Formats: sequence, structure tokens, C-alpha cells
Amino acid sequence: MYIYTCEPNWEALLSCIYVAWSSKRGHQNIKIEYETSANRTFLDEYIYVPTDSGQALSVIDAINTKISTGFYYDLSYCAMAYEPEVPDLIYRMMILGFAYGPEVVNKVQYEAVMRFNEIKKRVGNEAHRFVEFLRFHEVRKSMYVAHIEPKSRIAITLGGAFEDRMPSENWMIIDDIHKEAVIHPKNEHFYMRTLTDAEFAVLLETEKENDDYTDMWKIFFETIAIKERINPKLQRNLYPIWTRKHAPEFDSPSSKNTASKSQYMVD
Amino acid sequence: MFEINNGLSVSDKLEILSDAAKYDVACTSSGVDRRGKEGFLGNSCSAGICHAFAADGRCISLLKILMSNHCIYDCKYCKNRVSNDIRRATFTPDEICNLTIEFYKRNYIEGLFLSSGIIVSPDYTMEKMCETLRLLRTVYKFNGYIHVKVIPGASSELLYSAGLLADRMSINMELPTEVSLKKLAPNKAMNNILRPMNQVTGTIAAHRLAIGKDARMERASINSHLVNSIFGPDGNDSIEIGSSKEYGIGGNGLSASHTEMRYSEQSSDNLINGEKRQAVADTVMAKSLSGNTAHKPSTQDRIKELSKDNTFNYPADPRDTMLKRPFSPAGQSTQMIIGATDETDLELITTTQNLYKSFDLKRVFYSGYIPINEDSALPALNTPVPMLREHRLYQADFLLRFYGFHAEELLSKEKPFFDNRIDPKCDWAIRHLGDFPVEINTATYDMLLRVPGIGPTGVKKIMSARRYGKVTFEMLKRMGIVLKRAQYFITCNGKMLYKIPIEQQYILACLADSQRSETIQITKDNEQFQQLNLFSSFGLTESVPMQASS
Repeated sequence: MYIYTCEPNWEALLSCIYVAWSSKRGHQNIKIEYETSANRTFLDEYIYVPTDSGQALSVIDAINTKISTGFYYDLSYCAMAYEPEVPDLIYRMMILGFAYGPEVVNKVQYEAVMRFNEIKKRVGNEAHRFVEFLRFHEVRKSMYVAHIEPKSRIAITLGGAFEDRMPSENWMIIDDIHKEAVIHPKNEHFYMRTLTDAEFAVLLETEKENDDYTDMWKIFFETIAIKERINPKLQRNLYPIWTRKHAPEFDSPSSKNTASKSQYMVD
Repeated sequence: MFEINNGLSVSDKLEILSDAAKYDVACTSSGVDRRGKEGFLGNSCSAGICHAFAADGRCISLLKILMSNHCIYDCKYCKNRVSNDIRRATFTPDEICNLTIEFYKRNYIEGLFLSSGIIVSPDYTMEKMCETLRLLRTVYKFNGYIHVKVIPGASSELLYSAGLLADRMSINMELPTEVSLKKLAPNKAMNNILRPMNQVTGTIAAHRLAIGKDARMERASINSHLVNSIFGPDGNDSIEIGSSKEYGIGGNGLSASHTEMRYSEQSSDNLINGEKRQAVADTVMAKSLSGNTAHKPSTQDRIKELSKDNTFNYPADPRDTMLKRPFSPAGQSTQMIIGATDETDLELITTTQNLYKSFDLKRVFYSGYIPINEDSALPALNTPVPMLREHRLYQADFLLRFYGFHAEELLSKEKPFFDNRIDPKCDWAIRHLGDFPVEINTATYDMLLRVPGIGPTGVKKIMSARRYGKVTFEMLKRMGIVLKRAQYFITCNGKMLYKIPIEQQYILACLADSQRSETIQITKDNEQFQQLNLFSSFGLTESVPMQASS
């Protein structure tokens, strides 16, 4: 088995697939993984593939022209997922896609297709969680900043959703885990940006600013629950604890800054 | 109406008025898709977005507040009734707008849910509410979702304005019969609830026809695959305008009245109480009177028919029409209280079905009665909230809207309540074992949907997969089909999952067993735990040793 590895981003993954495909070692002998130092087997040969935008582009062209743009969208959407099997799954899907065309996403009789659909659905659900639960914080009375800690790299999908929701506001969504930000200037299109450490350090301070409406929200959140029907299990089911990290309704004033800070110290 | 404590801050008012509004169930932001606009704030997503879940597990989608909890009415079940001594407050329109806008910008909410106690008179209250909505839409440029409660008894001009400004309107039925309503809400009259409900339906239909849509609201897409759903004939109606005149009126009218006839038969047999029977008949009559709002064959005729007496014609403020908003685009909903009076589940679910069919409501909500007030007409204060009953009714409601079931299939006069042990769909399946097992690879939409454990999403996945090959149990499991329930009723390629005897009692026992933990979890809040005691827990009375010792 030959294991091709690459950096964990879309461009690198596509160039890796390009190299693996053109190596002519047989699809069943190839596996694609993101580059990590951990858990290497000693029976397989590891081949690191450096990012090459030319190769990536030709793969993109091939998918878009020979399969379909929708299929390309599905692949890139699935690539946001954190699951370690995703790179290899995308490779398998491309093999099937070139063989059967875009219809292949419905052929759940193939194990890869079934898994692909599952992951795509999970990513969609995760993205939707953050459309629901991310919280903006007013900063300097002029802009709104939200911090999120998603498992997958879903920040870009939030850009579109919130651009439609608040077209005439300045806002910014910061993915604390992957250190990237969606930035939306008033009445313009949003753009993505990978944050430097210095920028990130400054942005971490935003949640400490005082926001009057946070307290009102807490009041509302507490009074709206009916005491006779309290059901924490149901609440946790619908509003999982890992998505609550930056929700003002759950943080008690004392623990707020210390808890989130210590986490970043480890990073 | 004057305020005794005038110096309330906005947060104090928010606390009082959200506390007063929390018993309203509807908190959905669904039903309308609207893109954002530059210069405005907000959009709307037809699936609805929940922004938080409160400690009771209910979603928080809208800023659910009352405009005021002053009220001149004395509905027995209500926290804000005039005879209760509670803190009262009233928001000014600007305060409501500011809260909505600021909460919206922070992604706390999807819009505003505005209801109110009745200050001075229904008209005065409704006018204030319209003023608030107008301010929010025009001055504050809010483009998000607004759900407005209709105050029963307010004049139609105000309701028209409210509908033009809001996305969904709702009128709470509270109680399904005139008698119960008289008993618990002496200031309300059924007619004051049904008449505006009918007018809202008519106006929505007229507005929809005017922009080239079908008069009936859109329903879940699965309904288009079903032959026999409660929305069925009307769905076909739109496609065959003109050609099927007879079908349009006759078919639909007949089926509706047929159901109602059966219903009144049932209830007249079932309920000995003459007064009650009258009430049921009244409700049914009121519904059949207003029933066929939009079944005329040609569009022109329909609009004419609609504009006769069951549409609103003039808004309270002419500028409201100039906003060019559709009238209540997300439809209307209502809510009923469960457990305060002695209606059966059959009555509730049949009323629900009639509301869907004749008033074209988008949703009917159920609110398990929470004892807040002490009154001889009400259940005692320590009565547990009927959580499981509410849950069963919602399950049945979903069976009506997404699964093509009819109320009379789920319950009958011999069995007017839902089974506590198993859900209504399993219950139906067990009573119709003759139709099972169903072969997954060949069954129709209707039949697949009737298998417990398979829902609309599952059916669509199965149908899509069937086009490319055989479907196996392994695949079903990964499609999210609940084999725990479905295994008793399906075969894949001619084989059942296990050797299962097709026997009512056996399957009932298995299903009840698998649902026990869920049932217990729903009811557990009502249970009072105590330490096991040899005498009381195992049926031994304590009197025996007491006598021995004395």
C-alpha cells in the first residue's frame, strides 16, 4: 500500500490526488491521508506530496468539465469535515465519479458513497449548528464579532448565511480552532482570511468588552423557560455543550475569561 | 390603564413580559423564504432557525414577549388574568423595536413574537401592536420574521394591517369547544376566534392567488407523493383549474363533510352530555360553514368568492399596503390547551384535522396545561403537566401533516385516547398487521410511510437507492431507518431481519418494551420519587404491624 500524504487543505489534497492518480500504482494500492507524524504503519510506503496549484487546478477542471460542478461542490463541502478518512474518501468518490458521472452520489450501494453522504450531512448539520448558536458581540459600537470553535472548517459557509442576514453591518466571524476569519464590511461581500498570531491575540480580547444586551439576553433566556417542564437532557440533546463555548447565556461572569483563556494557553 | 410602578427599566420589563409570554407555545420562524436587502436588517429562512434551547428544552427562535401583561379579561387558566395580583408592565413600541433589532444583530433571535394582554379594549391593543410592527418595519428597517398574535374581537382593518406587516398570524383557540371556552374564558366567544381565523385564511388565499400561487399553503413535499393525505385533493385542485370543476367542489366538499359527519356521529354516541354534544356540533358547524374557502374552480371566481365576506379589504393605515408585503406569507397557526378540560384525544385530533383542511392552518400547537391559578373550574394546583399526552398529540399531528394519516384512522369512538405505551403510528400498524410485512424494494410511498421507524426522509432515501440496486437491511440502518421499530413490519428481498412471529400481542409487547425508556423519560418530571418501602411499595398495608404492636 502506498500512502500519499499532504497538508490539510483543499489545494494540497487535490495536488496529492493528482500525483497519486498519475502514479499508475492501481487505485486499490493507494491511500490518501493528511500529513501527520502519528500512527504510521511500518508496512506501507509514505509519500509526501507538496502543494502544486497547477496540478490542483487541472484536477478542478477535470471534475467540473467531466463530471459536474455540483459534484465538485459536494466534494469540496465534504472536504471541510474533520474526519481523518475524508481525503481518501474524496479520492474514492472521484474514481466513482469519473466512472459513472454525477449520478453516483445516489448510488448508496457503494460503501464510499454511503459514507460520503453521511459525512456531507454531518458537516451540513454542524454548519447549521453555528448558524443557530454563534453569538455576535458588539465591539466599539461599530462592529460585531463572533468566536466559534467548530470541529470542521465550516467558517466559509457561515459567511454566505450571515451576509444575507446582516448585509448592512460590519461583522466578523472568527474560527478559534483553525485560526481563520470571515470578514464582512458593511454593504460589501465577505472574504476569508487566515489570521496571524498577533491578529488573533487582539481578537481574543473582543469578548471581554461590555455589551449591555448580553445581560438582557440572559434575563430573557432564563425567564422564558417554564419551571414545571425543566428538562436538561433534552436541552443538551438539542443544544450540545460543545457548541455553547461562546454563548453568553451559559457563562457565569466569574468563570468566563479564565476558562477560555486557559484553553488558548495550551494551543 | 395606569402603571403603579412607573420606574421600571427595560430589563425589568423584559423579565416581566417574557415571563408572561412563556406559556405561548408557538416559537417557529418557519414558512417563508426571504432574502436580505441592503439597508435592511434580516432575512427569513423557510425551514426556520432555532437560536437557543431553554432549560425546558423548548427552542428559542423568536423574541417572545407580550406588549403588555395588563389585561381586562379573566380567563381562568391564564397567568395574566385581571384577578391575579402580579407585577404588570407595558413596553413602548420603541423599546420593543430596540430589543428586537439589538438581539437580532447578535444572532440571539430570528425575529419577534408579539402578543399582548388586552389593554382598554381589543381594538386599542391591536392598534398599539400594529403601531409597533409598523415602526419596526419602516423606521427600524427590520426585514426578519415577525409572528403576531391576533387579539380576538379586534376590528378587521387592524388585523389586515397586522397581517401585512407580519409573517405569520395566529389566533389561539385555547379550547376546542364552545362549552369549555365559556367555562374557562368567559370573556371570549368561539365566534370571535373562528371568524377572524376564517378571514385571515381567506385573505391569505386571495393574496396568494393574486401573485399566481395556489390558494392553499405549501405543504411538506412528501405530500405530493401521497394519494390519500389530508392535503391531497386540494393539491391536485390547483393543477387542474377549470378542467375539473366537479372534482374541485364535489370531491373535496364531500370528503370534508363526510369526515365531519362521521365525527359528529362519533361524538354524539360517545358523549352523553347533551350540552357538550351541542358544543361539538357548533364547532363542526362553524367549520363547515367557513369550510370551503378556496375550492372554486376558476381563479377569478375564487377571488370574487373570497372577497365577499371572508377577506379583509382595508388596512388601518393605507401606507401598509404600500410596503408591498404579502399578507401573512407564512400562514397562520393556533394553539389549544390540553388537560384543562375533559376533551378526548379524538376530539382534539379531529378538530386539528378540520383546522388543517378547512382553515388551511400551517400548524396547530398543543400546550399541556400547567396549573398556575387556583380555581374550582380548573384541575388542582398539583396536577402534573400532561407531557406524555401532549407528546402523543404532536406525534399524531405529524402523522396528519407528513405521513398521509387521517384522524379517524388513528382513534375511534371505542378508543378515544392514545396509547401511553406506544406511539400512534406503531399503534396503527399493530392494528393493521394484515397490511404487513412490506417489501422495501417494491412498496409504494404511502405504504413505506406507514411503516413505524420510516419517515419522509427515510422514504426518499429508499426510493432514491432503489433506482440503482437492491436495498438491504445494512443500508437501511445507515439511512437512519429505525430498525428497532421497523423490523417487525418489513422485508428486504423477501426476508425479514429476524424470525419474528406476526402476532399482535408479541409485537405490541416488544414495541412497548423498546419505547418504555422514552415514555418514562417524558413522564419522569411528573413523578415523585420516594424510598422503597416494604409496606407501601409492595402492597402490604402498614396497619397490620401497627395493630400487632398496639
